Amino acid sequence: MFEFGIGYKERLDIGVEWPHQWDYFVSAFNASERVKRVFDKVTAKKKVWLMCPQYLYESTEYPVGDVFSSDKRNEADFVAEWGSGAPADLDAMSVCVDITGFIRPTLLFFVKYLRDRGVRRFHALYSEPTSYKKKELTEFSSAHTGEVRQVAGFEGIHTTSTDNDLLIVGSGYDSEELARVAYSKDTARKIQILGLPSLRADMYQENELRVALAEDAIGSGKVFFAPAYDPFVTADTLDEVVREASNKSGISNLYLAPLSSKPQVLGFALYYLKKCAGGPASVIFPIANRYAKETSVGIARVWQYTVEL
Amino acid sequence: MNTEFGNPFNLTKANDFSDTEIQEFWVDIPGEGGLLGLLKPTSPMPMLVLGGKGSGKTHLMRFCSFELQKVRMKEGSVLDAVHQDGYMGIYLRCEGLNANRFANKGQSLEVWNDVFQYYMELFLGELLLRNVAQLFESNGTSPSIELEFVYAVMSLFDSIDGERPCRLTDLIAYLRRLRAEVDGEVNNCALRKTLNVTIRASRSTLIFGIPAIAIRYLPKLSNTLFVYLIDELENFSSEQQKYVFTLLRERKAPCSFKVGARLYGIKTYQTLSGDEEIKEGAEYEKLPLDELLREEPERYKRFATSLVAARISALVLRRPDFVDKVAGELEGMFAQYPVDKFAREQTKHVLTKYEGRERPYFEQFARDFLKYSKGAGDEVALLVDRLRVPTIPLLEKVNLLVLFQAWAGNLDLRVKAVEVERMCADFKDGRSSESDYARVFSHFSSDMLAQLLRQTGRDQEYVGVDSFIHMSMGLPRNLLICLKHIYHWSLFNSERPFQKGVVSLDSQKQGVRQAAEWFFRDASTKGEEGRFLQEAITRLAELFREVRFSEKPAECSLCTFSTDTAKLSEVANRYLSLAEKYSLLIGVRDGQKDRNSMRVDAKYQLNSMLAPRWDLPIFRRGAIPLGNDLVNAIFDPSKVERFPELLRQRVAGMAPPFKVKQRVPKGDSIQSDSENNLQLGFENV
Repeated sequence: MFEFGIGYKERLDIGVEWPHQWDYFVSAFNASERVKRVFDKVTAKKKVWLMCPQYLYESTEYPVGDVFSSDKRNEADFVAEWGSGAPADLDAMSVCVDITGFIRPTLLFFVKYLRDRGVRRFHALYSEPTSYKKKELTEFSSAHTGEVRQVAGFEGIHTTSTDNDLLIVGSGYDSEELARVAYSKDTARKIQILGLPSLRADMYQENELRVALAEDAIGSGKVFFAPAYDPFVTADTLDEVVREASNKSGISNLYLAPLSSKPQVLGFALYYLKKCAGGPASVIFPIANRYAKETSVGIARVWQYTVEL
Repeated sequence: MNTEFGNPFNLTKANDFSDTEIQEFWVDIPGEGGLLGLLKPTSPMPMLVLGGKGSGKTHLMRFCSFELQKVRMKEGSVLDAVHQDGYMGIYLRCEGLNANRFANKGQSLEVWNDVFQYYMELFLGELLLRNVAQLFESNGTSPSIELEFVYAVMSLFDSIDGERPCRLTDLIAYLRRLRAEVDGEVNNCALRKTLNVTIRASRSTLIFGIPAIAIRYLPKLSNTLFVYLIDELENFSSEQQKYVFTLLRERKAPCSFKVGARLYGIKTYQTLSGDEEIKEGAEYEKLPLDELLREEPERYKRFATSLVAARISALVLRRPDFVDKVAGELEGMFAQYPVDKFAREQTKHVLTKYEGRERPYFEQFARDFLKYSKGAGDEVALLVDRLRVPTIPLLEKVNLLVLFQAWAGNLDLRVKAVEVERMCADFKDGRSSESDYARVFSHFSSDMLAQLLRQTGRDQEYVGVDSFIHMSMGLPRNLLICLKHIYHWSLFNSERPFQKGVVSLDSQKQGVRQAAEWFFRDASTKGEEGRFLQEAITRLAELFREVRFSEKPAECSLCTFSTDTAKLSEVANRYLSLAEKYSLLIGVRDGQKDRNSMRVDAKYQLNSMLAPRWDLPIFRRGAIPLGNDLVNAIFDPSKVERFPELLRQRVAGMAPPFKVKQRVPKGDSIQSDSENNLQLGFENV
């Protein structure tokens, strides 16, 4: 219990100097104010922008500074290509990653890649928006391929029996994504984790409204809650959910779908890497070809998480 | 089974049911061997079971699985049960293989094909051996015989890794270990950029070899067909489907295959034999499940009634033995209007709401008449007085329709109004059931009722269990989802559905609308294509709605169109085909014969589940022919900006001032209204 909950997090004030300095800082670029302001705020010997191809930025739109870009859409190919140009002694450096602008599958694989590169500890930053531009009607992704697949590096060794499959979804705003994932694992029992406390006061209600649209797909199974801004409590909640489901009726295959906030995605990654790797568990995700460059307004709280791998 | 809040229709998918529940709630279609008579599990001919989402494919395939054979077993051993059935079902859900990981990651297509085929060999082999192990156990097979069997199976491998297993359980574990090794290599391939898989069994050696060996050691299985039930094939890539079709083509006794897939799920019919396509009829047969059920509406209705009755009796009344009783009373459990061709109950609100003032359709007519015909106000009043039937608003609407026809034919409306008054009176009093007026009424009364409801601020009426069964269009899940929402609303409206009283009209209407919304939203879960299809279907439905609610509809009960697909753009044809595969449109067999050229055009009906979204009819009658320009504007993304103008042109002749000659866009096929137009001696427009 609370195995992950001892993870350290602190709030940073965007208005004052931040105490930390890092050797290597990486952030995924998008047009939102919070991503750009944090990049400028951070002090690091080397700062790199990642240009995720799903944002469809032209080279003329790239930010100033060190930029890594690739047209490889598969998260493993993209991150591996970045990794081939990253410092060889990354594992000896102090590393900071702003997870705010990352595409979720890329973030997941990025964390695994850092671990496989020998990085045992890094800081993750996440900045909350003041609000989403269209509230519960905000569209984050488009050009969905219709494919729901395992995220690279998070594929399990599954059993032939599918009688007791379980799908745990970190439910976000996108009801279509939620339905897509739920239908892809039609056979599985489904449990949702909603972000509560949410990032901002009304976002939980907005989230509920969106989730209701996918009710026929996701069903009316159990719902758990974990703070939208806390990866460690999210990981603990996942641990609790899986243990309870396992004790109650067993789990033949476990599927995790982190569709919600980036801190929760980080939590899913940490849980999987620590507890599921090599077992009959996979992280799955509905793949989209395009993501909106800017969906949020403003910058509220900034979190710094100390991640131990 | 979880029936949260007691909704007996909460569980709508086969995968929501345990094996015991599949058996417990099994409802067969009446006559001709039922559903098993369609699936033919004892026939060696492979079969492709196609159907829309919710057609019952998975239910049917699971029913034939070994797990359900065991549940059904009454006495004797499981070996006896399989022997009696004449087949053993080995059920595989393709989704469980997570097959899309066998791609890319820096490896060639050929390598992935080999690895995937080997993986399938191990997966199916493991599933099969689990079943065979239970047969050995039930047979009380001796360890020495079991050892011989295990050795015989091991001889199928090209190479062996590690110690040779001696027990069946060890053999199963061996296959599982080999599969886990493949999993490990495949899963890590993205990072390592290497894929070191040793393929230890050639394609189909285990799949066909193990059953042949099993029969040698269990003679009771000598006449048993080993049927691989491969479900959800749409989860496989094109290359992976080629492999499955190759298995069908190369099948060896005592094996066969039943392959289940969504309508849109088949990406190729090619095989690995030089990409040759597998031949329907000779190498496999097709079972288009929901299409068959739609073609036998009475049979489907009885099946659907039993399906619903089984849920109600078991889960609401807690009397599983009451199925027949409930089936007989089901219609009466839903509030309905009395049977009345004049719909007096449905339209009685008009009498009270407009007491002392003009009814809205007469008001509109007066406005149009004064605007377009240069007539005078007192002239209008005289015309309207001829059309009035105060206690039967529906007849007033039909009278207006007849007058509009006369207007479009440039006839003298004063003369016509007198004639209409007389014909209407005769019809109302039952003196002329075969007249032209009677035919107009027969064709258009449902549309006129729909218009009347809309004009007087009422919702359209989709009520009665027969309507819901029809709306489901051969897809039982649609019916269950409809009823699920209706049940929710009924509880919300403080009713006690199926226990006390009837399900109110309001609950039915509210539930059906919600089900329609769900069905429409569901299409968008199919990626960007799904989104565009939603928009295309919306355009099509708007066209139907414009026609239905026009003053002089060109067709009655319009929810169907025909078109010459040879003249459409390639993209439009593709989306039209997709719309059919996703069951948004239902292709009508035999098409539509074009009156002028005798060419047979393709014909499509909007899925009735969508009808409530746009206030459209659920029963198909007339079909409107649409030219290629208009259909392209609906289904081709590069041409949609033309749709508003083409729509306006298409319906121009259906509203005052009823231009006699429509401008037919260049490139459109001949635009002629069909045989369902009024035949009152007027000129057709």
